[in-house]
Amino acid sequence: MYLSNPVTFYMIHFKNVSKFYPPDIVGLDAVNLRIEHGEFVSIVGQSGTGKSTLAKLLFAEERPSKGVVEIGGWDITKIRASDVPLLRRQIGVVFQDFKLLPKKTVYENIAFALQVAGIPSVRVREVVPRVLSIVGLDDKAHRFPQQLSGGEQQRVAIGRALVHQPKILVADEPTGNLDTLNSRDILELLKKINEFGTTVVLVTHDREIVNRLKRRVITLEGGKIVSDVEEGRYRL
Amino acid sequence: MMLTSTYRIIKFAFQNFWRNIWLSIITVSMLVLTLLTVNILLVVNRVTDQTIAFVENRIEVSVYFNEKTEQVKINDALTYFRTLPEVKDVQEISADEAFAIFKTRHANDADILNSLEELGKNPFGPTLIIKAHQAKDFDAIITALDHPRFRDDIRQRNFSDYQSIVSKIRKTTSEIRTGGMILSGIFFLIALLIIFNTVRVAIFIHREEIGIMRLVGASSNFIRAPFLVETIILSVFSILIVIAIMYPALALIEPKFSQYFGPGTTGLVSYFEQNGLLIFGTQFLALLIVTMGSTALAMRKHLKV
Repeated sequence: MYLSNPVTFYMIHFKNVSKFYPPDIVGLDAVNLRIEHGEFVSIVGQSGTGKSTLAKLLFAEERPSKGVVEIGGWDITKIRASDVPLLRRQIGVVFQDFKLLPKKTVYENIAFALQVAGIPSVRVREVVPRVLSIVGLDDKAHRFPQQLSGGEQQRVAIGRALVHQPKILVADEPTGNLDTLNSRDILELLKKINEFGTTVVLVTHDREIVNRLKRRVITLEGGKIVSDVEEGRYRL
Repeated sequence: MMLTSTYRIIKFAFQNFWRNIWLSIITVSMLVLTLLTVNILLVVNRVTDQTIAFVENRIEVSVYFNEKTEQVKINDALTYFRTLPEVKDVQEISADEAFAIFKTRHANDADILNSLEELGKNPFGPTLIIKAHQAKDFDAIITALDHPRFRDDIRQRNFSDYQSIVSKIRKTTSEIRTGGMILSGIFFLIALLIIFNTVRVAIFIHREEIGIMRLVGASSNFIRAPFLVETIILSVFSILIVIAIMYPALALIEPKFSQYFGPGTTGLVSYFEQNGLLIFGTQFLALLIVTMGSTALAMRKHLKV
């Protein structure tokens, strides 16, 4: 199954989605959300408001308790375990803690995302240097993650997320572990990726980042969407 | 695509092995120690078997005939004992030979030699030395000595000591075998637990990596396969190290046994040479099954989507 072209479908469509955790914790509560192809959307809110839960539903790390989640027209509400890798190869994901493979070099970390999909080595050798160039790490290709700064590690993670040319990039607190300068760099990179046509979902509680972006902002509170504003600002 | 994936899986397995070299060394060490324990047990079993065979082979009944017993009767007894199924070998020592052997054996004992000279004649009669196949066969042989055809010609039979030796050997043999079986069972269980836990720890250390692989879209098989191939590499290294330790160690300890039992009696090196493929092949297969099974089991938890 592959994500369809965005002509007839929303890129991301949540229909009355709720997520509950035992015994009685509400992650998301009846969320309705539509994100179109090529949008750059920030999901903001304080800790524990359901931002990360929403992100995890996008790449099937979690399944909704109620409602329907559609990604590019593909209903992933009850996605089979064997189909999850297929979905994840079409969505780029970036995390606060980078989640790089510590025993692989920068080059190998990025190449790994292609190799798991069975992409031929010739193609891997073509694509990875190009991605390294986009994220500005061509000269550090053979270093291991622990030999890089936080900002550089996050750029590797973004490179890995980009390597499939995904239709969606989900960034869950990508600047959480970075200083202001590195955070701005990462933000510029995300904007550049968005300009290439990738839908970007940025989960963050970084006020400065959101305010600089001047794009659509969705605010969550208690698992519910309390505001959804085009060209919004961080108001909490 | 299949070929590319296979190549990548093998490459990742070697990378895992090499880049986590300390973890690999610890795992291999544990596997080697376990295999060495199994092999030491094998050696102990082999030495026990050979010791029992050696002692059984040394036990014989000497039947001393009267000096004046005719050769015809000796031949009759010789033929009779050779027909008994319990008898492995019967050796005849003539009176003259017995006399010569006795004199040689006591060549340094002047008192005994003087006494013999004073006696002025050969005091020995012919002797039959009877060997049995197994210790338990001696009962039948000792009973056979009471045959009326030559009962009255026998001056002395020195079986009384052997009877107790035979029963002691039987008891010890059976105890050693039972103990060995129990010990083997316990060691096997310990080996299983050590291997299982070693692999579990190794996988636990990789749990975060496994999670990351899942997040970037690796299928369960693609994640699992390099770890399984790595267990093959670990098992190959372990068995090679065990072989490299075992043969020199056996060559070193074999002469010590030979000092007690005579050259080549335990035949440890030749036993391991002749059965090496079977012994180490079986151990390798068993190791592979246990390590791969443990890996698959340990990974199951981390591969749940």
